Order: sequence, then C-alpha cells, then structure tokens
Amino acid sequence: MPFVRDTLTSLTRLLRTFTRSPFYAFVYLVQPLIWLLLFTQIFKSVTMLPDFPTSSYLQFFAPGLIVTLAVFNSNFTGFALLNDINFGVLEKVLVTPVNRYSLILGTVLYVAVTGVLQVAVVLIISFALGATLVTGVGGILITIVIVSLLGIGLTSLLGALALRAKRVEPLIFVSNLITLPLIFLSSALIPASLTPDWVQTAMKFNPVNYAVLAVRPLFLTGYDWNAIGVGLVILGAWAAAGIIIAEYAFRRFGD
Amino acid sequence: MNIIETFNLTKVYNGKTSAVDDLNLVIKKGEIFGLLGPNGAGKTTTIRMLVTLTRPTSGRAVIDGHDLAKEARAIRQIIGYSSQQAGVDDNATGREYLGLFGNYYHLDGQTIKRRIDEVLELMELEDAADRLVSTYSGGMRKRLEIATALINKPKILILDEPTLGLDVQTRLRIWDYIREINKEDTTILLTTHYLEETDKLCDRVAIIDHGKIVALGTPDELKGEISGDAVTLTLPLQDPDQHAKTIERAKQLLSSQTFVRDVVARDDGLNVYVDEGSSAVPQILRVLEEADVKAEGITLTRPSLDDVFVKYTGRTLREEKGAARGALGGVRPRGGR
Repeated sequence: MPFVRDTLTSLTRLLRTFTRSPFYAFVYLVQPLIWLLLFTQIFKSVTMLPDFPTSSYLQFFAPGLIVTLAVFNSNFTGFALLNDINFGVLEKVLVTPVNRYSLILGTVLYVAVTGVLQVAVVLIISFALGATLVTGVGGILITIVIVSLLGIGLTSLLGALALRAKRVEPLIFVSNLITLPLIFLSSALIPASLTPDWVQTAMKFNPVNYAVLAVRPLFLTGYDWNAIGVGLVILGAWAAAGIIIAEYAFRRFGD
Repeated sequence: MNIIETFNLTKVYNGKTSAVDDLNLVIKKGEIFGLLGPNGAGKTTTIRMLVTLTRPTSGRAVIDGHDLAKEARAIRQIIGYSSQQAGVDDNATGREYLGLFGNYYHLDGQTIKRRIDEVLELMELEDAADRLVSTYSGGMRKRLEIATALINKPKILILDEPTLGLDVQTRLRIWDYIREINKEDTTILLTTHYLEETDKLCDRVAIIDHGKIVALGTPDELKGEISGDAVTLTLPLQDPDQHAKTIERAKQLLSSQTFVRDVVARDDGLNVYVDEGSSAVPQILRVLEEADVKAEGITLTRPSLDDVFVKYTGRTLREEKGAARGALGGVRPRGGR
C-alpha cells in the first residue's frame, strides 16, 4: 500500500526530527509549565468574580491551556514545513512518486502525536498542582480528538500559506497576527459570560472557542454531549477544509 | 531513440512574461545534453516543467514514452532530479536521508539498502554516511543531494546547475561522477551557465536565451560555426550613450574591412572574427586609431563557446556573473543586439 507507506515515511521523518531537537523537547515541557505558573498566579483573583464556574483558576485554565498550546504547536509545524521549502527538500520530495495526500496526512498525524504528548504534559503538571479531570480516561480521549482536529486545520492552513509564500516573513506576520486573537477571542482564559458582547459574537466564528467549549466541561462538570457534538462537527469541517486547501497548495507549489 | 521530446513547450508567468517560449527540444537516449544560457534564460523553468514540478502553460512533452500532462507519476518514477539548492535535511544522517527517498520511490527494503550503499560509494560519502548532515561541508551536501537523485536508478538524471558555487576541485569531481553515471546508461540533462562545463561534459548543447533555443549542436559544431580567430576588443567605459555609439561606430568601421568576417557588439566592446588573427590585430588597431577610437584591451583567441554565445545573444556569459558591474557602469546589462 504505497499510500500507507508514504504516510508512515513522512510521519517517521517528522518524529525523528522532533526527537533529535532538544529545543523542541524544551519548548514542549517548559512552555506549559510557564503558562500554568504565570496564568494561575496572574488570574488568581478572577475566580472571585460572580458567575466564575470554579474556585480554582488552575482547574478552569488547564483545558484552556491544552487548546492554547495546540495553536502554538500548529505554528511550529508550519515553520518546519517552511524549512523544507527553503532548503529545497520539499521540491526534491515532490519529484518522487510520493502521494501528495500522504505528505499532508503524515504531517497531520505528526500534529496529532505531538498534540497527545502536549496534552499529557499539561495533564501531569496540572494534576501535580491539584487539578482534576472529572470524566477520566474518556475525557482525555475526547480532548485529544478535539485538540488534534483544531491543530490539523490550523497547521494545514499555515502550511498552505508557507507553500504559497515560500518565505518566512509572511508566515511570521500571519502567525503573530492571528495567534493572540485566536486565543483571547475564545473562552480559553476567561468565561465568555465575563466578556463584552462583541467578543462573545467573535467567539462564534473562532474554531479555537469550539474546542475550549467541548473540552472544558470534561474537566469541570462532565460530558457535555451537545458541546462535544458541535465541536466535532465544526472542527471536523475546519480540519477537512484545511487539508483540501493544503493539497491545492501542494499541487500548485511549483507554478 | 529520443527519450525527451518537447512540442512548443511554453510557460508564461503572470500572463505576460514568457519564461519558456515555444520550446522544441529533442534529447536522445544515453547522451549528456546541456542547456546553456544566462540567468533568467528559461533553463530552470524548462527543467522544472520536465520534472513535473511546474505545469506548462501550453505545449506538451513526452518523456520515455509518457505524456507529461497525463502520466506525471510514471515520469517521476524514472527520473532523478538534482535541484540548484543542495536540498538536504540537517536533522538526518546521510543514510537516513537517502532512505527517505528510497521509500518515496517505493523500492523494497533490500533494494533500498543496496542502492544506498551503491550511491554512497559512487559519491564517495561512505565515511560520512552515518553522520548528521549538519556536519557536512558544502561539497558533501551537494554530493548527497545528487545521490538522492540516483537512488531510484533513474533512466534520466536532470541536474539544475550541478556545480553552481562549488570550488574548482569539487566541480571536477562532480563532472567525473556525471560521466560515471552516464556510462551506466543514464541519459543526462543539465543546465549550466559555465561554458567549460558544456564544453568538457556535454555531447550536445542548446544555447537558450529569452526562453528560446538560439543554437543547437555538439560543442565542436557550435564552435565550428565561427571560423578563424576571435579578436576580443574592450573599449574604455565612457558615459553610456557615448559608449554605445562608439561601439556601434567601431562595428560599422570594422565590418567594412575586407579581412573581417564578422563583428559582434558586446556591452563593453566588440568581438571581431577574422581568418588570420596575428595579421589582423595590427590592422584592427590601425583602423580604430584612424577613427580615434581607443581600445582598452585586445585579446586573440580561438573561437570558444563563449563566442558562439556572444554571436547569438550579444553578450558574454562571463558578464552575467558580474551583472552589477554593468549596472554600476551605466551599461545596460541586457543590451544585446
């Protein structure tokens, strides 16, 4: 099965690069730690506001952070692709008979695998600091699926941009431009009910928010099947759209 | 037998500039074919189309019996492509990187192992095979890059500027490798803007300019088109208008001389083709002196591919490398006739 083989070849290569770069390991381990420590301190008193769903900001923020990190992780992968483009590796790969969808799927699986890793890191640190996950293993699995779909869509879109631009500047610009709004225009850091109306409206158009809405109840209250269903549909469409656009960018890469 | 054939192959960028313009090219099985031309002549675009990276705007090509537009996958399986950049992955070892391509070409595990050893040996990289590519020198990277293009034992190896920016020693080695690969029944298509490279390496050469073939033949045939000796005159640089006028005047003057066969203007002087160089030089100088044109430099050579190039494009390849010089001096670098 050339398709399966091509996919595994691509995935293996990305994972090998990941394991060889101490910088990645550092970012993956230390970044969640910094976020958790900083935000749980800075936003400590937010929990005293009326309507705040829990008395522990850590408990509230842990699922938000998992989603936030998925956004950052996607940015990294977009830049990794740019590296391949810049050094001419991608061009060499594209003149082989490799299946184009396999290249995308390999990257997508990579995003999923590293996503799982990051979920694990955040969970371990959060649990150590006293957070809980009321839904247990089932909740973890749903979290991984939701976060992966979000990451796949965003990685594919940034990858498509990298394929079109072939330069680092547009990618830096766009990723800087969108990252913070994506995170702050969601309920990752603060409940939607505490934000102005226009922010709540903006959240309706932000895929990141749907991931947070699906994942957070798994930590705080239990399965919210409505939010999970909406999340799966919207993020599934988001991921599919990303892959289709990325495939188009691959096909037009040499033109 | 023709292994590559193009029919009015054309690539237009942004709907206006023709990078490749109605190109009809025939490459025979087993030959080393060189596409020679200055930067921007359309060499790279041509081969990017042939390796399925860039889609032609119009026209078609047949490669080893496969139609480029319809059977890209079959074509990818039988070609090897070495790009201008030494595209290698710093985070892999040489062996791992070659293995990546072996897998992408869908070779079986045994074959991959064997081919990796073979290409490592051919490119003299055995000792470095298990080191990370990040430790490789520039020459080693280029050799590894060429090695990846050979992993599938391609019927056609296509190299874009294989020795660009490499030192002389590495360049000579790469020529040896290319000859070696060619002996094993691999057809080779390469682009270059080094005349020496085509002269020493290629069975046939096409000179390409503005996306069109302007001359085609063996290096000897091309050189044979210019008989006698070549006298290269360099005129001192004045202000641009004046300079061009002086060159034009000198050209007219020399063309009317009976001992002169042909005169070709360059941006910074003239190439004068004569039967007998040693007697012509004093005569040329006398003619110029009478017309009050000063020559800054004068050299007498046997015609080279550079002369052929000048004849068809109105500029030398050597100038290309220092295009900035022309720009600074106010001489249009894309002058030409």
